[in-house]
Amino acid sequence: MTWENFRFALFEKAPGALQEHSLIVLITITLAILISVPLGVFLTRPKFKRFGMVTLNLLNVLQAIPGLAIIALALPILGLGMKPAVLALLFQSLLPIVRNTIAGLLGVSPDVKEAASGMGMSQRRILIEVEIPLALPIILSGIRTATVYVVSMGTLAALIGAGGFGNLIMGGLSLFRPEYLIVGAGLGAIMAIFLDRVLGYVEYRITPPGMWIE
Amino acid sequence: MIELLQITKKFPNQTTPAVDLLSLSIPAGEICVLVGPSGCGKSTTLRMINRMIEPTSGIIKINGEDVKNTNSDQLRMGIGYVIQQIGLLPHRTIAENIAIVPRLYKWPKDKIKKRVEELIVMMGLDLEKTWGKYPSQLSGGQMQRVGVARAMAVDPPIMLMDEPFGAVDPIARTHLQDEFLRLQKEIKKTIVFVTHDINEAIKMGDKIAIFDAGKLVQFGTPEEILTNPINDFVENFIGHDRVVKKLNLFHVEEAMQPVGCMVRENELHSAAVKMKAVGAEVAFLLNETGKTYGHITLTDFKDCQDNIESLRKMVQRTKKAFVQTSTSLPDALSLLLEYDVDYLGILKGEKLLGMLSFKDIRKHVYRKEGD
Repeated sequence: MTWENFRFALFEKAPGALQEHSLIVLITITLAILISVPLGVFLTRPKFKRFGMVTLNLLNVLQAIPGLAIIALALPILGLGMKPAVLALLFQSLLPIVRNTIAGLLGVSPDVKEAASGMGMSQRRILIEVEIPLALPIILSGIRTATVYVVSMGTLAALIGAGGFGNLIMGGLSLFRPEYLIVGAGLGAIMAIFLDRVLGYVEYRITPPGMWIE
Repeated sequence: MIELLQITKKFPNQTTPAVDLLSLSIPAGEICVLVGPSGCGKSTTLRMINRMIEPTSGIIKINGEDVKNTNSDQLRMGIGYVIQQIGLLPHRTIAENIAIVPRLYKWPKDKIKKRVEELIVMMGLDLEKTWGKYPSQLSGGQMQRVGVARAMAVDPPIMLMDEPFGAVDPIARTHLQDEFLRLQKEIKKTIVFVTHDINEAIKMGDKIAIFDAGKLVQFGTPEEILTNPINDFVENFIGHDRVVKKLNLFHVEEAMQPVGCMVRENELHSAAVKMKAVGAEVAFLLNETGKTYGHITLTDFKDCQDNIESLRKMVQRTKKAFVQTSTSLPDALSLLLEYDVDYLGILKGEKLLGMLSFKDIRKHVYRKEGD
């Protein structure tokens, strides 16, 4: 272990890895939110409620498939690089968001919905003005869980040349340089904790005031 | 006016209909109470009026117009709706909650603000303190007031209230009922009011509709229903104390009789002679300023054997035995027992208008019963 190796890993390699890693996380989470939240909303509408169980089970299975297997399966179609990595991570992150969206929307008091509809608010309006704001803290906590998943699982993306902190870890393993390993794994962990805290704060801020004042 | 014509509602997976061929006509400007045991179809009926539930068959008309001709959201915007659970939006302030329907109508902001302020004051809430609060910061009674204010926001001619005062404690409930009745005298809305409490129905209703198993059993004024329950079900539902309940419908001024004899304080010793002369059982006493302050009966004279001191004591005992004309008969009855007197003086302000005895109450109820 030398200081020189350590310095090189931290100042020469890490900035690029951080950039790549952040990009992977950002793309994956954005896609996951865009798919999962509307899906969760659909699955709580009376018309589509019966598909809820099936979809959740399907997502459970998707999450149970190891990320590495998905990468391997996607490789022939999507090739190397970021695309298969994002796909694999996406499969891992859908479930927590969909599940929390459904839980959040179903958790909105039926009395509030009844009163809103009795006053003549349309179903659309109730969804946008009542259900989503009230479910938002729970949806956000699902997004938080998914983000932490993606940050830690994202190190696998290096296996197919997508870069990120995984590069440092792989490099450290193959070159027998524990400094690289420490920097890669350490920064990955710090990023996960940091995002968790930030989203936790957002979750707190976004909770409607009427709901935390007791 | 709301008309229900041959309404039937059958929920899926149920053998008997929740509402069975119901026809009912609810007059405008009155409170019509739907009352009955749980599961009798009263709430279902209420919710069919604003299409929260669609009837299986039958027609509902509001002012002659079939409700099916109006888009359900539009229809509901025009009908006030209050439910027992209130259902205030927890993430909106009180002012925002009251402003929901005006906002649906796209009222200009300043008009909404003015109306919200007006309603908060009308509901007897503190404007400054309540305005920006969230529902979770209010008491049950206050929330219920906000619920009623919200339903009245655009001044709809019809209000549907499903056990609106069911979730508050008895003292707050009585208070809310009294206030609401006072308010209704001014606003004269057509109100359909659901409750399972017959006492609330008698108190609130201009008309009462008694439901059992999806059918309308009896429809009429509280007096008609208390006087002539149509069958055993209604009689049992009202309870064995129906005559006592009926007292609630009357005030002392309706049952009182005129005062036969008045004497000045310094003529107390000769009161018996005066009473016998006019054939009265009781004399009310006036002090120097002409104010009535008590009464004395012939029996008192007999008991005191004309001893003026014990007579004065007798009069002192009756000093509190006065009530205002607006007192309800049960309260008067209770006071007669409490003060242990035979007569109550009935005042309007300071002026003595009449008197009331047990016999008068009995006669009044008996007369009404015989009608």
